[in-house]
This record gives sequence, C-alpha cells and structure tokens, in this order.
Amino acid sequence: MELFAIPLVFALIALVAPKSKVNYVGLIGAVVSMVVSFIHVANFSPDQYVSVFAPDFILSFGLTFKMGYDGIGLFMVVLTNVITTLILLSNLNRETAHNRAFNALVMLMQFGLLGVFTAMDGIMFYIFWELTLVPIFLISYWFGSADRKKPLMKFFIYTFIGSLAMLLSLMALGTYSRSFAYEDLLAAQLTAKTAFWVMAGFFLAFAIKIPLFPFHTWQPDTYTVSPMAGTMLLSALMLKMALYGMVRWMIPIAPEAMDALSCMVITLGMIGVVYAAVIAIKQSDIKRLFAFASISHVGLIAAGIMLFNKDALAGAFIQIANHSLVALGLFLAADILERRMGTRNMYDMGGVAKLAPKFGFWFAAVAFASVSVPLTSGFIGEFLLIKGLYNYSWIVGLVAGTTLVLGAVYTLRAYQISMFGAPKMEAFSDLTWNEMLTFFIIMLIIVVVGIYPQAIIDFVGPSLDLTIETVKGTKVIVQ
Amino acid sequence: MDALIVIFVSGIVAMFIAMTHKPLLVLATALVGLSVGIGLMVNQWYNPYLLFDYNGLAFGRGEVIYSVAAMTFALLIIAGGYSYFKREPEHTGEYISLILFSLTGALCMIGYTDLFMFFIGLEILSIPVYVLAGSKKKDLQSSEAGLKYFFTGAFATGILLFGTAWVYGATGTFDLRELSNILAEGTANGPLLYIGILMMMASFLFKVGAAPFHFWGPDVYAGSPNIVTGYMASVVKLAGLYAFLKLFTYVFSAASDLWTGALFGMIVLTMFVGNLSALRQTKFKRLLAYSSISNAGYALMAPMIISDASLFNLWIYLVGYGFAVIALIVISLIVNDDSDNIESYKGIGRKNPWIGFVLVLSVLSLAGVPPLAGFFGKYMVFSSAFATYPILVILAVINSGIGVFYYLRFVMVALSSEDAEQAPVLKPCILQWVVLAICAIGLLLSGYITL
Repeated sequence: MELFAIPLVFALIALVAPKSKVNYVGLIGAVVSMVVSFIHVANFSPDQYVSVFAPDFILSFGLTFKMGYDGIGLFMVVLTNVITTLILLSNLNRETAHNRAFNALVMLMQFGLLGVFTAMDGIMFYIFWELTLVPIFLISYWFGSADRKKPLMKFFIYTFIGSLAMLLSLMALGTYSRSFAYEDLLAAQLTAKTAFWVMAGFFLAFAIKIPLFPFHTWQPDTYTVSPMAGTMLLSALMLKMALYGMVRWMIPIAPEAMDALSCMVITLGMIGVVYAAVIAIKQSDIKRLFAFASISHVGLIAAGIMLFNKDALAGAFIQIANHSLVALGLFLAADILERRMGTRNMYDMGGVAKLAPKFGFWFAAVAFASVSVPLTSGFIGEFLLIKGLYNYSWIVGLVAGTTLVLGAVYTLRAYQISMFGAPKMEAFSDLTWNEMLTFFIIMLIIVVVGIYPQAIIDFVGPSLDLTIETVKGTKVIVQ
Repeated sequence: MDALIVIFVSGIVAMFIAMTHKPLLVLATALVGLSVGIGLMVNQWYNPYLLFDYNGLAFGRGEVIYSVAAMTFALLIIAGGYSYFKREPEHTGEYISLILFSLTGALCMIGYTDLFMFFIGLEILSIPVYVLAGSKKKDLQSSEAGLKYFFTGAFATGILLFGTAWVYGATGTFDLRELSNILAEGTANGPLLYIGILMMMASFLFKVGAAPFHFWGPDVYAGSPNIVTGYMASVVKLAGLYAFLKLFTYVFSAASDLWTGALFGMIVLTMFVGNLSALRQTKFKRLLAYSSISNAGYALMAPMIISDASLFNLWIYLVGYGFAVIALIVISLIVNDDSDNIESYKGIGRKNPWIGFVLVLSVLSLAGVPPLAGFFGKYMVFSSAFATYPILVILAVINSGIGVFYYLRFVMVALSSEDAEQAPVLKPCILQWVVLAICAIGLLLSGYITL
C-alpha cells in the first residue's frame, strides 16, 4: 500500500511546500518511493505473486480493486521509480522544478504509473491508465513551448480515443466474465471472433500509446513541444505502459486472436523500425530526431512481444529498461543543447565537445548505448529480439537487423554535427552536478545490465514462463 | 411526502421573509428547509415511515436516492447562486422560492405513482422555470428564453396530455401498477395504446432535450440567467429522466419492442447532434447546452435496458453530470461575464489555481475521464447496455471521443498562460467556495458509491 501512498502524499506536500524548496520535495518523494520499491524487491522471490491490495468485495459492476505484482509488475514498478527519480534529479535546476503544480503533477503521474503496473483488475488498469494521461497533458500544456496547443490536443484526443477502444474491449469482456479481476478475465472463454475484436480494441489503445506506425503521428510533435521532463515522462515511462499492457493484458486475455493479429503487428513494427529511422536520419531538429528514434526502437520491442516466447520477451524487458534510460539521457542531452544554444537545430550547433568536454563524454556514452554497442544493455536486448524475429521469419529478422545500422547512422550523425566541428559560440557551460549525476547513474545501470543481463532475465523469467503457459494453454474455440 | 411539504413550506416562508429585504434570512430559510428535507428523505431510506401519506406519491428506495440528489443539487444551486440573487434584494426571495417550488414539482415527478400526479408534478416543476428563465426582465435574450421555453413547453405538455388520454382510453387507468398489469396481460394492446405511448415519449424527450426535440435547448440555456441554466441542466434533467425511466422501463416494459426501437434511433441522433454542434460553439452556455443534449443521449441509454440495475446506473450518471454542471455554472457566475464568451475564461486557471482545478475536474468528468464520477456514470450505463445493444454503445463511445475535442478546448482556454495577465481577478464568496469544494469532492468520490 505504501507503494502508492508515497507519491500521493508527496504530491500533496508539494502543493503547500515553499517555492524555493519544492524541487527537493519532489525529488525526495521519488527517492523515498524508489527506496520503498527496493525494499519490496529485497523481500521478493521472482516466482511469487504479492498481493498489495485485495478487498474481499466486488462492486456491483465487477470492479474488484485488486492490486498486486509479480516479477513483471515489480520490474516495471522499480523502473518507474528509478526513472522518475532521475527525471526529477536532472530537472532540479530548471525553472519548472520550482513550480508547485509541476512537482505535484509528476508525483501524480508516478502514482498513476505505479497503479498501471500493479493493477490486477481490468477496470483498475483502465482507470490508472487514463489517470496518467491528465498529469502528462497538464505538465506539457503548462510548461511546454509556445506552439504546444495543436500537438497536445492531437495527443490527448488520439490517446483518449485509443483508450475508449480499450474500454469497449473491457466491456465486451465483462459480459463473458464474473468480474474484472485478472484471473477471471483470463478464465473467460472467448470465441475466436470475439477474441479478435477484444484484442483489436486493446491493440488500438496500445498501438497509439507506443506508438506504432501508422498511429505515431501525434508523437514527434508532442515530444518536441513538451518541456524536458514531459518528454522524458512520455518516452521513458508512458509508452512503457503500453508495452507492459501488451504482455500483461492484451495477449493473455485474448490469446485466441494471436494468430490473426501477430503477423500484422510484427509487420507494422518492422515498417516503423525502418520508416522512423529513415525519417530520423533526415531530421535537423535534435529533439524531433530522438522522437523518431524512439518510434524506431519501440517498434522492434512491440514486434518482439508479439512473438511471445521467453527469449523475445526477456529481450523486450531488457530493451524496455534500456530504452527508458537511453531516452532519458538523449532527451536530457537535447535539452542541455537547446537550453544553452537557444536552438534545436543541429546545424546551428557545433564544437560543443571542445567547450564542454564532460558533456561531450557523457553524451557520447549515451549515444553509444543508444546504438547498442556490446557491453551496454541495448546490445543484449536487441540481440534477443532480433534473434527471435529471425526465427519467426528470416526476412523479418533481416529488416529488424537494419535498426542497428540505421540507429548508428542517425545517432552518430546527430552527435557529430552537434558536438564536433568549429565552435559556433564563445562559451558553453558544462554539466551541473545534477545533470552529471543523472548521466552517471544512467550509464552505470546500462553497463551493469549490459554485462550481467541475466539479472533481469531471472527477475522477470518465472512470471514470463507463467504468462506464456496460460497463453499456450488456451484452446481456441471453433464456432 | 414529508420532505415535499417541508420544502414547499420553506418556499412560502422564504417568499414572505423576503419582504423584510434581508436576503441572508431568505437564504437561511431555504437552506434550512432543504437540509431538513434531505434529512427526512435520508430517514425514509432507513425507516420507511411517513407522517403524511398520499396514494399518488410513494417514496421507495429508488425515489429516495433521486430525491436526495435533486434536493442536494437545488441546495448547491441556491447556495452557489446567492451572490447573483442578492444583487437585486427585492427579488431575492422570488428567485429562491421559485426554485423551491420547482423542486417540489421535481419531487412529485420522482415519486409519482399515477399519471395524474405525474402531470401535476411536471407542471409544478415547469412553470417556475418558465418564470425563472425570463427573470432578467431587461435582457432581450432572457425574455426570449422565457417565452420560447414557455411556448414549446406548453406545446409539449399538450402532447403529453393527449398521449396520457390515449393511454387512459386504452387501459382505463392512471395508476402505474394497474397499467403495468394491464400491459403485461396484453388485453389493451393496440394502436390506441401505442399512439399514446409514443406521444408521451415525444414529450418526455422534449423535456430532457433530446433530438429531434432539442431546438429550444441552446436558446433557452443561453438566454436564461446562468444559475437557472444550471438548475435546468441538473435538477430538471434528473427529474425528467427518472420519470421517463420509471414510466417506460418499469411500466411500459411489456411494450418495449415498440418504444425501444424509436428510442434507439433518437439516442443516436441526439448524441451526434449534441456533440457535432458543440464542436464549433464559442459561447459557454451554448456549449453547455449542446453538451447537455449529448449527455441526455447517453443517459437515455439507461432506460433502454429493462433491468433493476438501470435505476442505479442512471442515478450515478446524473449525479456525476449534475456535480460537474453545477461546478461549471458557479465558476461562470464567478467569472461574471455578460458576453458569455469561452474566451473570457482565458487564463483563470493560472490566476486562481483552485478554481482552475475544479474547472478541469468538472470538464474532464463530463468528458468521462477516470477516476471521476462522469467516467463511472458513463461506464455503468454503457456496459449495462453493451450486451443488448453493442452497436449503440460503440456509437456512444465514438461520440465520447468527439466530445473530448470540445471539452479539451475549453480546458485549454481556461489553463492558457498567454493571457493570464489580462485574466480577471476572481473573488468568489465563501458560499461559492463551499459549493465548489462539495462539487469537487462529489466528482472525485461519488463514482465509488454502490448501493
């Protein structure tokens, strides 16, 4: 219970804290919440399911309020807490950090995310899922750049309509099930046709949030106009909800429709990988470039999840963590550049590496992690995903493999143009301590996971086995 | 019945106290009367005993929850609108007692057990609202609103009476229980009854503002004083929809093949007309009017399902809707802009974050964002209709998607930072703060009530 209570309590404290200290309130909240989740990890063995909240009543419409976590859930909870801490840490000196509403909204967002990852009831999942939309919208709207209105409107409407499709699916499921508790939904017997529509509803919601090609059109604009913390929350955490949702909800609940949909999703993912990467290569706006890079990376993860075998899923989870950290680092670097140069256009930058060697080093480290060089977590994640996709079909494997090449092209190109060459300005103040610390922690985790990925695989493995078993065990009813 | 008498008497007392020209005293009378009324009604839930009893009215559990909701809304409206009422001290008593009289009618419409009582209730409800709609006497739009509402309303009443007469002609009774027995036996079935039912349905849909009987809505909503608009959108709608549910879902259920088909079509029409028209509105109250039309469409899905759960589903929907509308109306009073443009809400969320918070809360609740009350209402109504009418629910969900567009635009205007400098400094009085706080709590928590 304390898992959720802490962000909420700190959200309330942030509302009344004095303005000069409110940035620390947010950070302390995130750190406390992170420490608590570490305690949960310490008391957890990967093959168990821990119930956080399970009242013994069911509301009249089947809402059970069940919350709990297994390996997957706890993994995402820890990821959320770590990333939120890093976001607030990197944001500590920005002007937004001194705003009470900002800190409260970030905490509320964290609360919603923790709810999403521990909800064990369809309606609870939906409620938390939507709950995260409001704070991120408000953060981006209040603190975003001047041209934010249209992209944010598009973002909200897009994701809201996607969620409504998921709600329809849940309603349809509700007619087959006793309650919305996870195990009841798993036990629901669907015909192949119903399962198809149920899964399609979930898929629409998740595809918009991830975002998969062709549902991605809201994403580059929204990332660009959001403030740094908003972009980080969107890319590092919010889209992970959808990837997690695919593993936890979409596939296990309607596995009967896997055959019908997996080919399509994998194809869309592959199109996204190549398409977004090619667009990223042609970008001059550095934030937009990383936004497209994000589409390219998550397309691969989504395609890997649709394979639904152990290796690919383990790879997907490593890649989820990796992408969160890398996106955090890249958007931090983009924001540092934008803030100190006053532009997002790469061609107006140059020579930064000479003026700010520390920044040059850490940005390069994150860029290499993004390219998935060996010994970073991205390498092992992408390797497992591409291996799985290759086994599915060699053509798909080949297309997926291009992500490594294309990723190197756009990331290193961005790095080269912005950081090397003749300096275009007199001075560039180097990293502040909090930015440096953020980069350091990001790289530390990336390298540790890159050297010892088994830690994550062992952590999420038993839960993944269990989920795969339920999916494999479901018989398709022929009408 | 006890609560009814208390409220009616407090209305009369308030009217006479107004002669002392002490608005505060009038307000106190009304609030005390309403509180006692709510108390008596809650007591009715636990302890079904009445000091006064009358055959035409019966307050079972369903009636109790609707009555409590109606009285609470009226209380919030009177308290929230007090700053408006007291601007003309000589008329304060009239406004407040007219609302109380109208509420009496609403309670009759909720508790009726025969069609005769229902008709009386409808008239007691409507006539004060006609007066209130035109109560800004020097304002052309307000006079237009009053007149328009009166003419169209009188016409609808005529059709209702005509329909009632046909039903009476076919069955020979006004009593609801006998009516449902006769309908179940099927002895009276025939064109006579069917025409009567359809005519009654038309006039009901007129009262709740469903398309194609919605044309009065935007003009009347826009022309009336804001607080009256709030009253119409919350209490009148609640009473009308419950009366509809009671009569059609539980009494005319035997003839449901006849009217559900027609209602299906009209719900679809209502949702699309309301939402699509709302997209391009620039005036706050017209936006609210079209939004209320589309909300009537969603709410009417509850009576479509012949089940005991419909009663509660509709209630939770209307409660969420009522809190949201009252909060918005009180905010519009605080903004106090005669031109009523949405643009005049610019930046108030920045200037006054708490008001901004309540505004965002209520608009998002109208849009159906969880975990607010509006979501639960929508969810309950939609999911209970899903098994029987999946197409209707899918259309309704599409409409919710359209609705987000204009709700969000309103939120964006209210929160925009560019014009925060010119935003008016708002000074809500203490009563309005209380009302806003109650609405906010209601929006946050009322979704979790299960009976």
